[in-house]
Amino acid sequence: MTDEFNQESEGEEVVYALAASPDFAKTGTCFSARQSGLYRSDDGGETWKSVYESLTLDMPLVTTSVVVSPAFPQDGLVYAGTNGGILRSANGGETWEVAVLRTPSPLVSALAISPDFANDKTLFAGTMEDGVFRSTDQGTEWVFWNFGLYDPNILCLVVSPDYQTDKCLFAGTENAIFLSRNSAHSWKETSFPLDRGPVLSVAISPNFTRDRTLFAGTDAHGLFCSKDAGKTWQPVPGLNVTSSINALLISPEYPTKAEILALAEEQLFISRDDGLTWSDWRKDIKFEGNPIAVAAPSGLSAGSPLLVGLSTGSVVLI
Amino acid sequence: MKKTKNSRVIFQPTAYQAMQTGINKMANVVRPTLGPLPRMIAFERNTKNERPEILDDGGTIVRRIIALPNSNEDMGAMFLRHVLWQQHEKAGDGTATSAVLFQSAFNQGVRYITTGGNPMMVRRHFEKGMEIIIDELKGMATPLEGQQKIAAVAETICYDPEMAGILGEIFDYLGEFGHFEIRNGHTRQIEREYVTGTFYKMPLFTAEMIKDRDKLMAYAEDVPIFVSDLDFDDPAQFNSLLRMAGEAGIKSLVIVANHVSDSAVAFLLSISRNPAGFQAFAVDAPIPEDGQPVILEDIALQVGAKPFFKVFGSTAEGVTLEDLGHARRAWADKEYFGFVNGKGSPREVHKRIDELKTRYDAAKDVESRNKVRVRIGKLLGGSVTVWVGGNSEMDIEMRRARLERTVEAMRGALINGTVPGGGVALLACRPTMLRMAAKARDEDEKFAYRTLARALEEPARVIIENAGRDPDVILDQIDKAGPGKGFDVRTEKIVDMASVGIVDAASVTTAAVYQAFASVALALTVDTLIHHKKPETVFNT
Repeated sequence: MTDEFNQESEGEEVVYALAASPDFAKTGTCFSARQSGLYRSDDGGETWKSVYESLTLDMPLVTTSVVVSPAFPQDGLVYAGTNGGILRSANGGETWEVAVLRTPSPLVSALAISPDFANDKTLFAGTMEDGVFRSTDQGTEWVFWNFGLYDPNILCLVVSPDYQTDKCLFAGTENAIFLSRNSAHSWKETSFPLDRGPVLSVAISPNFTRDRTLFAGTDAHGLFCSKDAGKTWQPVPGLNVTSSINALLISPEYPTKAEILALAEEQLFISRDDGLTWSDWRKDIKFEGNPIAVAAPSGLSAGSPLLVGLSTGSVVLI
Repeated sequence: MKKTKNSRVIFQPTAYQAMQTGINKMANVVRPTLGPLPRMIAFERNTKNERPEILDDGGTIVRRIIALPNSNEDMGAMFLRHVLWQQHEKAGDGTATSAVLFQSAFNQGVRYITTGGNPMMVRRHFEKGMEIIIDELKGMATPLEGQQKIAAVAETICYDPEMAGILGEIFDYLGEFGHFEIRNGHTRQIEREYVTGTFYKMPLFTAEMIKDRDKLMAYAEDVPIFVSDLDFDDPAQFNSLLRMAGEAGIKSLVIVANHVSDSAVAFLLSISRNPAGFQAFAVDAPIPEDGQPVILEDIALQVGAKPFFKVFGSTAEGVTLEDLGHARRAWADKEYFGFVNGKGSPREVHKRIDELKTRYDAAKDVESRNKVRVRIGKLLGGSVTVWVGGNSEMDIEMRRARLERTVEAMRGALINGTVPGGGVALLACRPTMLRMAAKARDEDEKFAYRTLARALEEPARVIIENAGRDPDVILDQIDKAGPGKGFDVRTEKIVDMASVGIVDAASVTTAAVYQAFASVALALTVDTLIHHKKPETVFNT
């Protein structure tokens, strides 16, 4: 690993998810969900501190997902998904409340927050074995309906950028991609080919209302794209990978800047032409450990910082 | 003993005249019910003290008419009655539309044929025209999505805003195959309750297995499930299963069986005595459908179990952990067994759903279709219980009948989409028929297409008539207003029907066209009526 990278080694553990504050460029605030708990950095990922100290835990609390409120600088709301429940902090992680999902408690594998959270107070939790839970009161109470979601093992979850109007969200599971048009009350399977799962990552265009575009990364069958809100799916041939695509990011200015980042085969790949061609994000990068999670707090333009979480527990800012 | 049989033969022109009279009588009973401002039909009850039955559903109305006094007219009436009942069975709605289409086409057809037209040629062109109309209607159909749009369509069928609103929500949540339980309510309102997961009519073998005294059910979490239709007459038959469960550290077990004897039940109760220890409850296996254990197979699929069927000589000996299914939660009470998030293979569930959807499309009658639909709904998980309230018992009955009819029609709308309502979709098909008439090669062909074109405006005419307006004037305004425009009888304005939510289920409209025109084509070829007298029995002495 070259000296220019800042990292903090935490021993043998995995970084499952990363979330950056909307004002990361100014404050450097971000969170990493790891096997040993939830950590916060206020210097752009250089140093990390556990935010679970107030919980006085007997043993590490495996944290598999994390999201922050779109208005985090003002409301300090952070949500962490664990095995059995969801933790909520209203002060950036200093203290926590626990929301226990119904018994038997599921593993919370994904969290997604409404873009209109300030008004609708809505967020969603994807779980293994119990489908998707919904909260409409900033995470105090959680309910699940899941009509039509016959594969309840949720691996990834995204909310439409126009959720306020269309109430849409997509869930990637071990076998399929499901669409809900009514705030997770019910689900319909999209036409994503059944034999191409598990679906590990889904990214939705910020301009979804107009371009109806989604990308889906699989465990062993590469990257897929839909341009009609999931009605049809095509493989993206330009990215020729056969291993897991653990994370996908789309540029905030898509499709004007048709940039897509894929975390696959222990590498970061970037396409700047809507998936036609792909290249390494940076050729000189060599990670010590497999990249599992990524966050792009300032977009995907060349030179933008990326936070990468590794299987060793490290988080690297590149 | 000797039998004699006399037949009465009715030739033309009496045959056509009589059939036409009977058909018109039947159609005229149903005509007033078409549209959002319908008239009601009152039926005398069997006991004179009872209030007459008030009906507004064409299908039910025609079923109440058993026979006309004149046997010749009765043949025509019963012919149309059968057509309309088929419409009711297949589509759940659209009987009045079908009736007026039929009536118009038949009356025109009789006039033409009695002046020398060829009924067989007319029939051929009718059938061809009908296919073209149906294709046009299918091309017009737009998908029905979103709670408000669904509610708007429901209201065009049931004319009950409260009911329509609730149906909009229910169908938005559960989809076209969602499972409904409809019951009579005890209040003035319509209420509903959703149930997550799946449940089947499979009661506990004994109420003593109920451990949750508040919810009155047996309940278990992360529970293995043994799926079978076996008979457990001797408690010893459980030994292998329970030994395996013990060795695997299983804390709770659900057993599905065809029969569990009293002694076997007592045995299960005794080993489940300690609330903190091993718990087992047993539920009655579902009744096979048409002799096939399809429901049991569906359950096994959803929970990932290997089903054990006695027909194959299976027993509970040698059951392994891998043979058991699992569910995140399972419950049972005195009537039902249910579970949430079974751990069966989603791919296999998906495959089963696809197979059943194909069978649903191919089903020939409502009963078969409903059986398949219920299975699909249960595989998708989730259901709703609706309690229908009203101002009186009669009101509740009428509302419940209307709800059931609307639910059936709405399923078709969700599956096949909607077309502009108020008869506008049918009006839109007229130009094609008129173009085909202009290009016709002979008089029979020209007549057939022009007749269809004229019949296609009949539903709109009748809706306008029933609203008390002059159909000729309004139809002229509609024609000038352009495509998609129709008459909203409530606001008395010419509007874009789809934009204001006045739409019909495409499946209902296409079914009405098919039933009406295919049947007219056949009816016009009837040349002779034959009545059979009851056989006389003569004894030789």
